[in-house]
Amino acid sequence: MATVMEFEDHKKQEIKYSTCYMCACRCGIKVTLEDNKVRFIQGNRNHPINQGVLCAKGSAGIMKQYSPAKLRNPLRRKPGAERGSGEFEEISWDEAIQILTERLAHIRATDPNKLAYFTGRDQMQALTGLWAQQFGTLNWSAHGGFCSVNMATAGLYMLGHAFWEFGDPDWDRTKYFMLWGVAEDHSSNPMKIGLEKLKRNGGKFVGINPARTGYQAIADEWVPIRPGTDGMFALSMVHVLLTNEQFDWDFLLRYTNAPFLVVQTPGQKGDGLLWRDGEGHPLVWDLEQEAFVNGMQPGVKPALFGEYQTPDGRPVRTIMSILADRYLDERYSPVNASKITGIPAETIERLALEMAHVAFQESIEIAVEWTDWAGRKHDRFIGRPVSMHAMRGISAHSNGLQAARAIHLLQILLGTIDCPGGFRAKAPYPKPVPPPNKPAQHSAPNTPLSSLPLGFPTAPEDLVIDEEGRPKRIDKAYSWEAPIANHGLMHMVITNAVNKDPYGIDTLIFFMANMSWNSTMNTANVQEMLKAKDENGEYKIPFLVVVDAFHSEMVNFGDLILPDTTYLERYDSISLLDRPISEPDAICDSIRHPILKPDRNVRPWQDVMVEIAGKLKFPAFTKEDGTPRFSSYKDFIANFERAPGIGFLAGWRGKDGQSHLRGEPNPNQWEHYIENQGFFQYHLPKSMRFYRFANKEYLELAQRIGFNPTADPIIIELYSETFQRFRLAGMGLYDGPCPKDPVDRERLATYFDPLPDYYEPLEQQRIDKKEYPFYAVNQRPMMMYHSWDSQNAWLRQIIAQNYLYMNRKRAEQMGIADKSWVWVESHNGKIRVQVKLIEGCQEDTVWTWNAIGKQSGAWGLKPDAAEATRGFLMNHLISELLPPKQGERRLTNSDPITGQAAWYDLMVKITPAAPGEEGTWPTFPTMKPLPGSAPAPDVLRYHTHEPVNLKS
Amino acid sequence: MHAALAVIFLTLFSGGGFGLMALIAIINDLHIDGGLSPSQTLIGVLLSLVFVTIGMLSSTAHLANPKNAWRAFTRWRTSWLAREGVFAVSFYPFAIGYLVWVFLTGAPDARIGLTLASIAGLLGLITIFCQGMIYAVLRTIRQWNTPLVPANFYAMGLATGATLLAAIRVITGGNASIFIGLAIALIAAVALLKGIYYFWISRPAGPTIHTATGFNRSTVRLLDQGHTFGTFLTEEFGHILPQEKARSIKVLMYLLAVVVPIIALGVSLGAQSVPAVIVAAVSIVVGLGLERWLFFVEAQHVVNLYHGRQRC
Amino acid sequence: MRLGLVIDLDTCVGCHACAVACKEWNTSGTTAPLTDYNPYGAKPSGVWFNRIRHYEIGEYPYNKTVNFPMSCMHCENAECVTVCPTGASHKRPEDGIVLVDQDKCMGCNYCSWACPYGARELDRVSGTMKKCTLCIDRIYDMEIPEEERQPACVLTCPAHARMFGDFDDPESPVSRAVRERGGYQLLPELNYDPTNHYLPPRVHAPIPTEGLKKKAAIKVKEWVNRVIER
Repeated sequence: MATVMEFEDHKKQEIKYSTCYMCACRCGIKVTLEDNKVRFIQGNRNHPINQGVLCAKGSAGIMKQYSPAKLRNPLRRKPGAERGSGEFEEISWDEAIQILTERLAHIRATDPNKLAYFTGRDQMQALTGLWAQQFGTLNWSAHGGFCSVNMATAGLYMLGHAFWEFGDPDWDRTKYFMLWGVAEDHSSNPMKIGLEKLKRNGGKFVGINPARTGYQAIADEWVPIRPGTDGMFALSMVHVLLTNEQFDWDFLLRYTNAPFLVVQTPGQKGDGLLWRDGEGHPLVWDLEQEAFVNGMQPGVKPALFGEYQTPDGRPVRTIMSILADRYLDERYSPVNASKITGIPAETIERLALEMAHVAFQESIEIAVEWTDWAGRKHDRFIGRPVSMHAMRGISAHSNGLQAARAIHLLQILLGTIDCPGGFRAKAPYPKPVPPPNKPAQHSAPNTPLSSLPLGFPTAPEDLVIDEEGRPKRIDKAYSWEAPIANHGLMHMVITNAVNKDPYGIDTLIFFMANMSWNSTMNTANVQEMLKAKDENGEYKIPFLVVVDAFHSEMVNFGDLILPDTTYLERYDSISLLDRPISEPDAICDSIRHPILKPDRNVRPWQDVMVEIAGKLKFPAFTKEDGTPRFSSYKDFIANFERAPGIGFLAGWRGKDGQSHLRGEPNPNQWEHYIENQGFFQYHLPKSMRFYRFANKEYLELAQRIGFNPTADPIIIELYSETFQRFRLAGMGLYDGPCPKDPVDRERLATYFDPLPDYYEPLEQQRIDKKEYPFYAVNQRPMMMYHSWDSQNAWLRQIIAQNYLYMNRKRAEQMGIADKSWVWVESHNGKIRVQVKLIEGCQEDTVWTWNAIGKQSGAWGLKPDAAEATRGFLMNHLISELLPPKQGERRLTNSDPITGQAAWYDLMVKITPAAPGEEGTWPTFPTMKPLPGSAPAPDVLRYHTHEPVNLKS
Repeated sequence: MHAALAVIFLTLFSGGGFGLMALIAIINDLHIDGGLSPSQTLIGVLLSLVFVTIGMLSSTAHLANPKNAWRAFTRWRTSWLAREGVFAVSFYPFAIGYLVWVFLTGAPDARIGLTLASIAGLLGLITIFCQGMIYAVLRTIRQWNTPLVPANFYAMGLATGATLLAAIRVITGGNASIFIGLAIALIAAVALLKGIYYFWISRPAGPTIHTATGFNRSTVRLLDQGHTFGTFLTEEFGHILPQEKARSIKVLMYLLAVVVPIIALGVSLGAQSVPAVIVAAVSIVVGLGLERWLFFVEAQHVVNLYHGRQRC
Repeated sequence: MRLGLVIDLDTCVGCHACAVACKEWNTSGTTAPLTDYNPYGAKPSGVWFNRIRHYEIGEYPYNKTVNFPMSCMHCENAECVTVCPTGASHKRPEDGIVLVDQDKCMGCNYCSWACPYGARELDRVSGTMKKCTLCIDRIYDMEIPEEERQPACVLTCPAHARMFGDFDDPESPVSRAVRERGGYQLLPELNYDPTNHYLPPRVHAPIPTEGLKKKAAIKVKEWVNRVIER
């Protein structure tokens, strides 16, 4: 009996292309609409990021769009109601904007730093940063301080590109891939696509992770490592490579600072800095000329190893000599590293040699003519097909910056940087090491900052501190406590503002950041701080503005709530000025545009920002006649120019839309993007695809289109002179600002090692590990990633409760049964959770999926939702401050170099709960429903049309 | 397996009803112990119809979409469930015909009546077989995939029918010793067959998590079932009865389905005790109801292997 | 034709993309909607055609995590069809796809009992059995672009761990993959002859390292420089 084939009526449907925003991956989506409802979201086959595929989150976008947690109207805390009580009243947009504008106008006219504006995962830092700069406040950053600043900084201070979003393994060619501690990542679908390619091509995939879940599941070899010891593991592999002379001589000599000479005058000013000629050029020893020569000259033949004496009698050594001396030390031998990392010594040695074999015995060549930085032609690109990726597992430790540098060092020695099969850069990277922009240092009333609040310090002079050496930023970024805090320290803002340390603020704006719940350390305490009042009965944080699209735990604490749109309802630009979607072979950016009409009284936050900027007459947002320059965010994106011809979107510029990458604003630019399925892609010519740090054609292009200020080659830094300057400041040997507090001096002298090194994470140095024997870390489930999707009717069926995962044998030895409830205690607090015993967990480690736990009543869930009654947050156990130490001010629990929140440094003890003790603890009061919100349905039967049944 | 009350009732009551009808036909046909009186026949056939109807109605209560129940007969060529429906429904005209015949003629042993009764009895027996085969054909459930299942169904249906018949005989004042003997013999057969069945299912023999996943060389453990809470699959198939609990329920089942009825029937054998036969009839129905429940909850569907069970 | 899927256990990362794409397509598909119960409450549940389980093979530290997606196998010996009393469940002779006619199903659950793979789920609101249709309403719909005429799960799988094709054609990619990678069927002893096959994890050959080891220890000061032009 043949089926009668009848299909749904496509005439009623419309197809639109946009960009996903269910996580930070930013895949292209093809959305089928039916009566202003979403029929189907699928991957866009033509899109450079996802090439047609889409992950679980992307497909579940429908359920996000129809979430009962959507905010519906601007809200104001009811007069007389306590902050955090959840008592709100609806107000109009006019009123909301008026309240905010008046407040901001006053702050801007008096002390702009009284506004602190911090954003969550927004991917629009180019706009929010510009806005803050125009406002004149130093107190702006996104959430990178607790996310990935260690990864970004390590790369940008060493390679010019980085893990995170600035580089990718060469998936098509790599033969050996080492993944360091990633469960799910910004590079969500590309990683999955890439891993399959690697395996199809017969490559080996090695996973370094205390837990074998996520991508590690399909690793050909799993290396269960103790959390926070990755730096030692990497450096031990460096030891093995050096011991067996397995490193890329050509690469080191041509493209890195390995042959540069370093002054060796311990205890004196200038020790450890590069020896330079009168023009500031670094000097090398030329083997043929047998003389010191400018290392930046083409054609010199420098010594990689060697000790020399300068004419004025100072000893100098090549960086490579210093480096080899350091890592050949027994401290880094596999046997010693094994004691720290828990990885068998023979595994460390074998993995290092496996990579050496693949890099040097299985190297690849691509026959393409290209021109190097000095204009010399080459007929091929040589590839070392070993690649790596690392992310939060490395990043979120207080030794994460140095650990990430250690991983990069390994890559550099193997010569796998931006080469075929290696770790490739993505436009606008590589940039100079580090990028040339410096953080703004001064703020004045009604005046924009001279530069963006965030930048890249290279010396103590670049710190944002006052004459007394005190921090000028509320988060103490760019102070002695966190000198290279390039993403700010969002995790310290509430604590510092409440303690008025360094000063009190007036208004705090949080955009898309759940700082009273899963995006903060020490959650319960932070909720108390948000409600804290001073002796006059005023809130210590006087005015709190929360901008979000959904009813998060943070919304509950707002004084003013501004409801945002969803990603299907607004314009967005994923800009080359920010964190674009580029691929190694193509310069790309992309957009979102409204494909659904909002069904409630919400506005895109970007539009509101542009409107307020006009009202406050920010120079960049105001015409000469004093009227607003831009009518909307859409208008702003099309017409704003950062430099002549350079705007937020790089495609279809010029009046006629014919100029790509650089050109005059084009009034029809948005239409071009929409026509072209929401993205722009400029394929780099084959000659520009590798060795871009030294590729003349590419460097000239990068200069022409504004990525880099010059076309000078980018020198890869194995040894960081920048770090040495800070270290000298710590030792009091720097010609410039030096810290006064011995605590700062000691930290700088210890941790600002110009060579990557391993040290025990700071919190762990202060914790009795006999009392707290377990490392406790978080990971992200692939089907949720940031786990904001507890509200998602489909995704939460997959995971609505997190467990504490433990090694089965270890737990059984402790008398802990599968699925039993246990107490987990740290120096900061305790929680009760349910355990799950698994094989795929390093013995000394426990871990969980982060942010599954929710406060009862949040996110449109019913008060008894499992997320609130059985799920949990590890955040309660983590302090934003290091355990106190006598004679020391309280220090942030962060990387001492970058200020990256060290939320993976946690140590805990585990004890079985008493019989009958069940359910998560602590619990929090149920949040009240917001005015106008409808109760969540008990049965959901989402569909966009009556089914066309196929009859038998 | 989830033990749905509706499905328990279906085989419990309709099985008893069909067994009763079959025994009425045999006894009246062969004139065993003088056959049944017209009133005993009427009561017996009526009771059989009531039992069958309770079973059939409760089976429709099990349907999630009963408006399509009428379609259940269409696939009788392949489906034992359809066949059950066909035979169960075709049972009715003959059983009712016999009922009407006996009511009108008062002659339960006349040829036309006996023909109707025999056909009804035969259809009833075929239906019991179909009911057994509904379960026995399922390769997915090792505990059911055996000829012991239809054999058990026969034993239980006939034992129930015989107990009911003995009770009718005693209540209506006839000499019931042969009927009681028959009932005791059939109950003993139930006990024996169930014993064989339990022995048979106690030996591990079904598929394993290794064959379910294809990983044959190492331990295989469930890490995550991919959904935090229950699904249709866990609710329908996920029932687990701890061994100790199963053992004590089995003792109770034997007590109610076998020991109590045999003792009560034995008491009745001497004393013609009405209360005793009522106890026997109620006890066997309750006891076999427990047996039905055990039949489900002890059945391990292979899908449980995918939820972490090591063997079915 | 014998249409079905190949699942690559070597590359499946367990992301549930297939399951959610399936849910998304089919909640407005031919057996729509796929009801969700208590979607925002204590114990959310619902009807899905494709579920991903996760197993651990072996013991620490030699354990491997295997992600295991399962949906209807479109068996050659589809007992679910044999046992169906109403004729709602049927296997299409032209391509082997097993379907449930929602207009005929009476919701007796019997087919789900007969299925070893947990492929069938009752929708408690419609009262009918629902299951993977192999996206029959995609693969034959000529208004959908040709390259997208695939099941939603295959279309979306980011790790390309799912392949769709004709197993009757020995040269189809699915047949070749099964042949070359040792594809296998689940629960073969039940003899359902499932069409879907699973590819086992690949085994990686050891990488030679012995030849790279230096015999004598290196001293930095004695390292002989190589002349390389910068």
